[in-house]
Amino acid sequence: MALLSRLGASLPLVLLLLPLALLPLLVSSQRRISLSALDAAPADGLSRTIDWVLKIAGVLAIAALIVALSGPYRSGETVTRIGVGAQVSMLIDRSGSMNETFAGKQPSGAEESKAAASRRLLGDFVGSRAHDQFAVTAFSTSPMLVVPMTDRHDAVRAAIAAIDRPGLDYTNVARGLGMALSQFGAEAVQVSRAVLLVSDGAAVIDPKVQEILRAEFSKIHPNLYWLFLRTKGSPSIHDKPAGEDTPQAAPERHLDLFFKSLGTPYRVFEAEGPEQVAEAIRQIESLERDPIPYTEQRPRGDLTPSAYALATLGLLVLVAGKLLEADPRRASRRSSPTTAVPSDEQRLAA
Amino acid sequence: MSTGEVVYLPRWQPGGSTVGPHRGRDAGGLGTFRDQVPFLRLPDARRVDIRATLRDPFEGTYVRRFETRTAIEVWALVDLSASMRFRGEADRMALVADLCAGLAHSATRIGDAFGLIGCDDCIREDVFLPATRRQGIAMERAARLATAVCAGNSARGLAAVAVRLAGRPKMLFVISDFRWPEALIEEVLSSLALNDVIPVLLADRTEDEALPSFGLMEFDDLEAGGRRVVFMRPSLRRRWHERERARLDRLHRIASGYGRPPFRLDVRFDAEALSRHLMTT
Repeated sequence: MALLSRLGASLPLVLLLLPLALLPLLVSSQRRISLSALDAAPADGLSRTIDWVLKIAGVLAIAALIVALSGPYRSGETVTRIGVGAQVSMLIDRSGSMNETFAGKQPSGAEESKAAASRRLLGDFVGSRAHDQFAVTAFSTSPMLVVPMTDRHDAVRAAIAAIDRPGLDYTNVARGLGMALSQFGAEAVQVSRAVLLVSDGAAVIDPKVQEILRAEFSKIHPNLYWLFLRTKGSPSIHDKPAGEDTPQAAPERHLDLFFKSLGTPYRVFEAEGPEQVAEAIRQIESLERDPIPYTEQRPRGDLTPSAYALATLGLLVLVAGKLLEADPRRASRRSSPTTAVPSDEQRLAA
Repeated sequence: MSTGEVVYLPRWQPGGSTVGPHRGRDAGGLGTFRDQVPFLRLPDARRVDIRATLRDPFEGTYVRRFETRTAIEVWALVDLSASMRFRGEADRMALVADLCAGLAHSATRIGDAFGLIGCDDCIREDVFLPATRRQGIAMERAARLATAVCAGNSARGLAAVAVRLAGRPKMLFVISDFRWPEALIEEVLSSLALNDVIPVLLADRTEDEALPSFGLMEFDDLEAGGRRVVFMRPSLRRRWHERERARLDRLHRIASGYGRPPFRLDVRFDAEALSRHLMTT
């Protein structure tokens, strides 16, 4: 039924001709030979089978032609399936420091900037599982929506490929996080959701904004991963500053504390080189293994070729029947000389 | 119209007073000498046989008797069911018309009467011709058979024909393809058994021997109106022939029981062949 409801025709009026398909049951395309009584013909299973095959072929040919003329199609649809994967909202730091290497220098020669390394590794992450959905948000002073939540991995990879463009100004984590959370959408399904924050620094989050974020986090309840690309020499997340322990003095540490206080599953990966980034990503990948319903778009399919193929099949059978047809007149002409010859001879002899 | 002439002799001594070509059962005053009888048995002074009267030591008077020449009636009983529309090598109804015209011609020429009854499900009054000795009418009605409408789907009417043929024995040609149920054949032949019945079987080679040995054929039943696809192949053709042969054997057996085997009429009407058949069976 579900299949039927998705079928349509671009010229449905043509389908009114469909009763014509019953014609082969009444008339036949074969040459008809009249016989004084069918009783003369012995019952024969093979003949009966051929009779039905020809009839069905005729019905099929006409019906398929009419259907083909009406332009049949299978309407496009969105199929929801269950796969293994997660919804991952990536929040990527585009501040100027991302263009530096892990050593805090401008990259030269074979050196790789932090942005380039994360681009390479994240790009691999995106393609690895078919049913993951990704959204990419970039942030510096203000957040930028790069790709909304999608399962089109090419688009996501293209978005990630763009993150090593020269970065912008500063790091404004709070607004970035807000946008990254908004990527998940409203529907509350049992999907494994993750926010992957890639940054090389942190910033102070205003206490007011903290409250808003906290509310958002508790509503969406994502797993939060922070991939902290630490520049060599800069303070670690866990380092207490020498002086006063304020967010201004050690923003990374306080951001970490804030994340820990959110009540959502949270892990931080501190990476000081590309290998560590790869390792962190591998861990994230292995953590996010839950069933995820994903949607598949099926385009509207034109069924005309298959209808014509069916019609051709029926017509071929009919043509075969026509070719197999015996011509009784030719047969009698062929056999009559053989009977005529002896009578001539008899006449001559007489 | 050169169908030749059908030569026939009644197998019985026909009675009746109509003067005709056949040796009658009754003795009368004209014709071929038959015997002498005492005058008291046939008191006809004109026929007194003087020589025999003189020769008789007991002095009886004898009278010559002569065979009467008597006419008989020849009837054609034609099956007009739809199967007679068949056209194979020959148009079946044209053949029937030829045969009837031949019979009408032969019968009326020598002074016999010719009658015609057509039957499908009942007796067809439009084809009915009471026995007549008038050649013109007989020939015309016989020839008109070629265009007779054959629409009925059985020949049941033939079973009721006997009522119209009451009286003296007649020569009856039952003309049909005999694609009847066996019971009907029995019924018709037994109802006509007092007469000299000659079944004339209309056959056609395209229905039997001349069938192609391979190929798909779709047949139309003229009578019952069905259609059937037959995939003809040598084995089926053999079975078909066996079936036909069995049917003809059956007809032969039944018809022989009532006097004469059937005469087979196929491509064209041959009066000589019919004459030979009538003489030899």
